[in-house]
Amino acid sequence: MAGLATTFGSGAMTNTINELEEAQVILVSGSNTTATHPQVARRIFDAVDKGAKLIVIDPRKTKIARRAHIHLQIRPGTDIPLLNAIMRCILDENLIDDLFIEMRTENYLAMCDLLLQVDLNQAAEITGVAADDIAQAARMYARAQRSTICYCLGVTQHVCGTANVKSYANLAMLTGHVEQEFTGVDPLRGQYNVQGACDMGALPGVFSGYQAVADPEIRKKFEEAWNCSLPADPGLTVVEMTHGGEDEGRLKAMFIMGENPMLSDPVLNRVRTSLHGLDFLVVSDIFLTETAALADVVLPAACFAEKTGTVTNSERRVQLSHKAVEPPGEARADDWIIQEISTRMGYPMQYESTREIMEEICLLTPIYGGIYHDRLHASWGLQWPCLDRGHPGTPFLHKYSFARGFGRFEPERHVPPAEPATTEFPFVLITGRRYHQYHTGTMSRRSATLKRERGTPLLDMHPEDARRLGLKDGCRIRVRSRRGSVPFTLHLSSHMDRGELFCDFHFHESPTNVLTLANSDPVAKCPEYKCCAVTVEVDHD
Amino acid sequence: MIETQTLHKDYLLPLLRKLGKQYRLVGPVRNRFGDTLYIEIPDLDRVDIDLKQQPQNSLKSFFFPQTEALSSYIVDTEPASPTQLYSFHPLLPENRPTLYFGVRSCDLFAVLYMDMIFLGGKHRDIYYEQRRRGAVFVTLGCNEPFANCFCNATKNGPFLEFGFDLQLTDLGPAKNSYFVEAGKANGLNILKKWTRFFTDATKEDRQFQYQAALEARGLFRQLVHVDLACQELEKGNEPEEVLADFSQRCQDCGGCTFICPTCTCFSITDHQAKDQGSGERIRSWDGCTFAGFTRMAGDHNPIDLRRHRIRKRFFHKLKHDVQKHGRPSCVGCGRCVDMCFGGVDIIRFINAITEAGDLGRDKHRGL
Repeated sequence: MAGLATTFGSGAMTNTINELEEAQVILVSGSNTTATHPQVARRIFDAVDKGAKLIVIDPRKTKIARRAHIHLQIRPGTDIPLLNAIMRCILDENLIDDLFIEMRTENYLAMCDLLLQVDLNQAAEITGVAADDIAQAARMYARAQRSTICYCLGVTQHVCGTANVKSYANLAMLTGHVEQEFTGVDPLRGQYNVQGACDMGALPGVFSGYQAVADPEIRKKFEEAWNCSLPADPGLTVVEMTHGGEDEGRLKAMFIMGENPMLSDPVLNRVRTSLHGLDFLVVSDIFLTETAALADVVLPAACFAEKTGTVTNSERRVQLSHKAVEPPGEARADDWIIQEISTRMGYPMQYESTREIMEEICLLTPIYGGIYHDRLHASWGLQWPCLDRGHPGTPFLHKYSFARGFGRFEPERHVPPAEPATTEFPFVLITGRRYHQYHTGTMSRRSATLKRERGTPLLDMHPEDARRLGLKDGCRIRVRSRRGSVPFTLHLSSHMDRGELFCDFHFHESPTNVLTLANSDPVAKCPEYKCCAVTVEVDHD
Repeated sequence: MIETQTLHKDYLLPLLRKLGKQYRLVGPVRNRFGDTLYIEIPDLDRVDIDLKQQPQNSLKSFFFPQTEALSSYIVDTEPASPTQLYSFHPLLPENRPTLYFGVRSCDLFAVLYMDMIFLGGKHRDIYYEQRRRGAVFVTLGCNEPFANCFCNATKNGPFLEFGFDLQLTDLGPAKNSYFVEAGKANGLNILKKWTRFFTDATKEDRQFQYQAALEARGLFRQLVHVDLACQELEKGNEPEEVLADFSQRCQDCGGCTFICPTCTCFSITDHQAKDQGSGERIRSWDGCTFAGFTRMAGDHNPIDLRRHRIRKRFFHKLKHDVQKHGRPSCVGCGRCVDMCFGGVDIIRFINAITEAGDLGRDKHRGL
């Protein structure tokens, strides 16, 4: 999000998911779209059926990559050199949008300086993609009127995640492929309402609607509304908290809602130390997760069907979701839990309904200014920015001008992965999701049908690597990194490149994040989940 | 048998109220979210009966519920012989004579198909039979077929010739009444018992009904050559390319098999109670589009690839059932077309076969 916020001024999908169907060229990067965003994938397929060209950038031959017109099978973590090479080709062939750059952007000269230093052969060597393919993709993307970029966690979960995103934004600005319908830069959000959580300020440095905590004017507004004083310093990010235990005494207590860091955060051993080091841990979730098992107090929460409220999806669309059934037992909706805790801690909160909470959001959050509950009834929702009651919502962003004024080119150079493969740890491990399970399996592993479809943790390996190591399909193996080892069942897949491995993180019996490393992006603090050095051995246990 | 009457629309509710004393009522009801579904109607005054929209569900779950307990069992800890470890007690559903009204032709036809599956063989399914016995069907012909319907091509609609107890046809706004045909003894009994609600049909009414049925046939928005597709499949022609495309688009959700009125695959699992000493044997819907449906011990799967699973479902409907029962088991309701997020629908499949068939012929002509 930080990457797009710096370049465009707003960190969200610039366009609507449906607009993908009308694109002429779709560039998908770091997204196993058919498995993780099937609803986006089907629009891409429909677009391709109508004649759109598809370019996929991914180290794996995913299903969508196999359908692509051009698949740039890069080495993990080499997005920036690839994009710089693509941009250099665009520059060389004079396919840049001069007028757009002149009128709508700034810092182009610095970008140009960097691109003129790019050596295409060297880029081909670093990325592992043939120079011809790079040039072809560049032409395909630049020549179409309506080209759009979709990216996902394969781009962001790197030490250079923010720089990666900026590079995609640079590409879009260079060719003027933003600010219109059907063309833009679309980050696909990985979870139900994760966009909504960010919009509501569940980030350390901002209040709702990305209003900076550091800005005294804004802080004053919230202080007046809430009748209390608010700290000026940003808080900590997730991993800074879950890895905070080593800073002794820094964190005393945590209240974790609907997260399972004991499986999802990198270097699990450190997470465990941190959580054990707390004086007091409260976890609110719908099931007893690995994290909840460590808690002093567990609060049973209501699931999506048991509460009323809004969710915001990838395309900034706020939709109202109604309570369909009563929560079981003593489970309570999140807003009830927060109000009750706040009241008992001496700050009374008494909202009579989620409708009233939404009214406060409208009052304090300009981009949500006109999104009242009654406008969301019997509709597909509203897309922010929606400034007041009369505002129809905004299907695509940056029309006539970028949110930050001028779009800013942010030239970036290659940042090698924090942990390259070595002789001792010769494989690069990529982590991600499988189709039939979701995240840490808290919910999806409770379905018998999903378990039947995919119930065991697998490690994908190229058949030639397996032959070299004398490993057979389906055998028990152990993956070891500098931080620990985890057992898996081997799955041979020619969709992997040699020297690269892929595994999921859904299963507590194979806690993948024991292996991953803590190095994270300096701006967004997103850990490098997509790249760590490991070795594979037969599991004798 | 066919006796014809008309029923003024004003009398529909009073008639249903009378019938509700004799039968449990099931009909299409619009809920507060705007969705129309067949549901059980305990109180006619508290529901919004909707005879305009196609119900989103079929009648399948009324005879073959999504999950049902077949039997309870007790585990004997000290059995006299090893074979007596488990003792089973069947949990038969209650037989409740039910009147299904506002039933669309496709949905009744699907019930007749399920009859063949559950009651047609050597062993009758007692659970199904228990629910099915004494069911009365008051169908409603479709003057205007819905967006994805193609029951004309599967030859079971938009009006029925047989199978119904009563069939209603809307005689239009001017008449404000239904044309009523009795197709079976139960239907005839209703006409006879409640004569005061009905009026004898005139020649004009009959003419109007005939005209409506004729016109409805021309109002289908989907042009689907089911016959031709069945012939091509019988000849062994397979649309390889389309299946490959479908296998990439299919999202493995199983929605098509669950929504389908004639998909009857199920699996049986034992659900043990907490005390471990007893439990229930549960039957639940399953789908051949799931890999786990055919996977065996040792991870061997005879129908492994997704394209094979999709192929299996379509072939079952359009080839194997034609060979076995003489007609496809797709009833053309179009629900799977609405349901599928990925565009893996039976209309696309059929069209792909018939188009490929056309190409094939053109090629031969060229030679």
